[in-house]
This record gives sequence, C-alpha cells and structure tokens, in this order.
Amino acid sequence: MAAAALCWALRAARQVFPSPRTSQVRSYYVDWRMLRDVKRRKLAYEYADERLRINAIRKNTILPKELQEVADKEIANLPRDSCPVRIRNRCVLTSRPRGVKRRWRLSRIVFRHFADHAQMSGIQRAMW
Amino acid sequence: STSSVLSAEKDESPTSKDSTTEVASKKQEGIAETPKQKLLDIIGSMKVEVSYRKKLQQLKTREIKKQATKKLEGVDSESSMLQKTTEDTQRSKPLNPELVEAVSAVASSLPLNKKQTESELLAQLRRHEETTDKQKKGGTINIRNVISEMTVKRHSPAQKGVRVSSCISLKLDEDGQSIKPERLSPQSFDSRSLKVGRRLNIFTKASTETENALKTVSPPTIWDLEFAKEIAAVTAQPPRNGFEEMIQWTKEGILWEYPIDNEAGMEDDAEFHEHIFLEKHLEGFPKQGAIRHFMELVICGLSKNPYLSVKQKIEHIDWFQKYFEEKKEFIQEV
Repeated sequence: MAAAALCWALRAARQVFPSPRTSQVRSYYVDWRMLRDVKRRKLAYEYADERLRINAIRKNTILPKELQEVADKEIANLPRDSCPVRIRNRCVLTSRPRGVKRRWRLSRIVFRHFADHAQMSGIQRAMW
Repeated sequence: STSSVLSAEKDESPTSKDSTTEVASKKQEGIAETPKQKLLDIIGSMKVEVSYRKKLQQLKTREIKKQATKKLEGVDSESSMLQKTTEDTQRSKPLNPELVEAVSAVASSLPLNKKQTESELLAQLRRHEETTDKQKKGGTINIRNVISEMTVKRHSPAQKGVRVSSCISLKLDEDGQSIKPERLSPQSFDSRSLKVGRRLNIFTKASTETENALKTVSPPTIWDLEFAKEIAAVTAQPPRNGFEEMIQWTKEGILWEYPIDNEAGMEDDAEFHEHIFLEKHLEGFPKQGAIRHFMELVICGLSKNPYLSVKQKIEHIDWFQKYFEEKKEFIQEV
C-alpha cells in the first residue's frame, strides 16, 4: 500500500515538477530595462485578445463611425504597456537593444563569442 | 520407601512398612496417567539435603517405587494389597491418619530434619489429594490431547531449551503438506519448516476495510512530493550510452518522439464542423443591419483560423455580443 502511494506520488511529482531541462546560471534580470521589457511583454500577453477585438471594430468600414470612435477611446484607455509595439527584442544575455539576431535572441557580440567557442549548434565560420 | 531400605538393616516388621509404601505408591499411581513421570517429579521436588547417602537412598527408593508400580499394575496385586493391609484405602478430605503415620515413620527414618521432611511429605500428600479430586471432577488439564501431537525427536541438541522446543515439534504430514514442493521459498530452518502445522489463531487478520479507508488519503503533501523528487534524483543513474541519453531527453521534452506526430501537444477534441459552422452562435444578434454583417465577417475569419480552439472562437463571439449589448443605446441614437 505504501509502495502504491509512493508510485502515485512519484508520477504526480514528474507531472507537476518535470525534471529541469537546463540549470539556471543567473536568477536575476541583467538590468532594469530588461525588467521593464519583461513587464511589457506580460501585459501585452494579457490584453492581446481585447486589443484584437477592439481593433477589429475600429478598422472597419461596415460599422458606424460613432461606434468606431468609442472603440478608439476604449483602446486608448488601456494601459500603455499593454501594446505590443513597446516590446523591444533585447539580447537575452546582455540586454543589448540593437544588433540582436531574432533566431537566437542574442546580440551579435555574444553570438560571435559562443560561435567561436563552438557552443552554437550548427554554426560554422563562413568561408567561400 | 526409605523405610523399606532401612528395614533390611533393622529387624522391624517389614510388611507394615512395605504396605505403607505400597499404599502410598498405589495412590500415587491412581493420580498420574504417566505414573513414572509423576513419581520422578515427586522425587525431584522432594527437598532432601544433599548428601551422598541421600542420593543413594533416593536412587534406591526410585527403583523400589518402579518395582512397586509394576507390581500394582496388575489387579491381583491390588487385591493382595487390600488383603495385606488392614487399613482402609478410602479417601477423605482430611489426610488419612495412616498416611500421616507413614509420613512420620518416613521422616523418622531420615536422619536429619525430621520435622521438615515430615511437613514436606504431608504437603506432597495434600497436593496429591487435590489433584485426584480435580481429576475426579474433570478439572485438570487433559494432557493426552497435547501429547498425542508430540513426537520425540531422536537427534536433539544438548541444551535443555532446544530439547524442549524439539519435543513440541509437529509432524510434517499433519496438513497433508511436505517440505519438498515448498523449497522455492527460502526457509530459515531446514529440518523444521515455518509454514507447516496447525494455525495457532493468535493474530486476527487485518480487515480490508481499514486498507480501503487508508487508500482514500488526501492529495500528497509538499513533503511527499519532495520525498518523491529526492527518490527520483537518487535513483536516476547517468545514461550509460547514447540511446539512454536520447530516452532521457525524450522524457524531458527536449527531443521529439519519432515518428513525428504532427498533432503532438494538440488536444483539440472538436470535429471540423464545430470549427467551420459557427452560425449557430449568432443567435443573440439582430438578423438585419450592420452588426450582423460585421459578425458574419468575424465568423468567416474565425472559421479559417486553424490556430485557435473552438473554445477560443466561442469566447470571441461572446465578447462581441456583450460589447454590442452595452452599446445598444448608443447605437439606437444613431
């Protein structure tokens, strides 16, 4: 009986706490700008549906214009950080706002550092 | 009995003393089922001071008593005894005065501590009386049932305790079982098996109700989960080869399962008609007008969207319904 309970507990543990894929190197955000960017991303995710629907009313030729103006006001009332335009794709390791390759989420300097140490899978120095 | 030994030395009348011993022995024989055993016990319990002379006397008395019992097993011997003895063999609750006389004679025959030996012999006689009374009423323990199951072991170790336990060893073929087919399970003793024999019924079987009650426990606490994680971490061995590494990765989710399932992770149970035919959700809207036109466009777009689940699409439509209900007054002004 105890063995059965233990097996159940193990299975539950595996589902709830899957074994970690990577070990965390650092437990903080690199700088405050990165933190603000994280907040914006979260809010944008929360308000994404609402924004989509209100925009669907706004960008419309069928509905009356008064309705669309009301929708304009509504969307302006939403928190400023909820719009996705404010998100900046920063480097994940250094929080560099420019020179970030989207596929790897890394700035060019970090990317070059890792590629030279052969820590980027499938990356090779170009030579032709 | 000792008097009979001394009678050889003295020139007193041996018959009377023989009769007393024989009477006493006869009574003892009537008490015990295994008279030999009982006599031995009695002799053993007799507290005579240890001396070589006493030991010799004891040995001699034992032999004489054995002879006496052998004689008394016959019916004729009893009658002859009755003829010989002028005393009555009828018993009464108080000790027989003849027995008391015999006890005093025996005590006198022994050299040391006459009074002590006399009292001890009297106590012995009283005990015999009690046991005989109990037996008459049927109150004593019936040893026959216990002894019938016993078998004397031939090879018994020297120690007394082991000998006692070996005396209580049970037969193998009592329950129709034998050790040979049960050799699969390891047994601590080779000669004596643990599973053979009648049940003692000392322990009551645990009821299954308690087991079922215990199974319906509250969901595991944080400590249980932590313990489970610890066990998993300890028992998890590093992969021995590439295959085990790939297995581990697949379990973690790093590696996809092959052959690749295009719908891995997707748990959409809805059929295609639920995705496409969304007009049934448009019942709350007016059938004419711009709003209806707008909602039909919305539905057209949603039906073409493969990334949303049916639930999400319904949520969209419901939100629009609420929104337009709130703005109804405003729309009617226009």
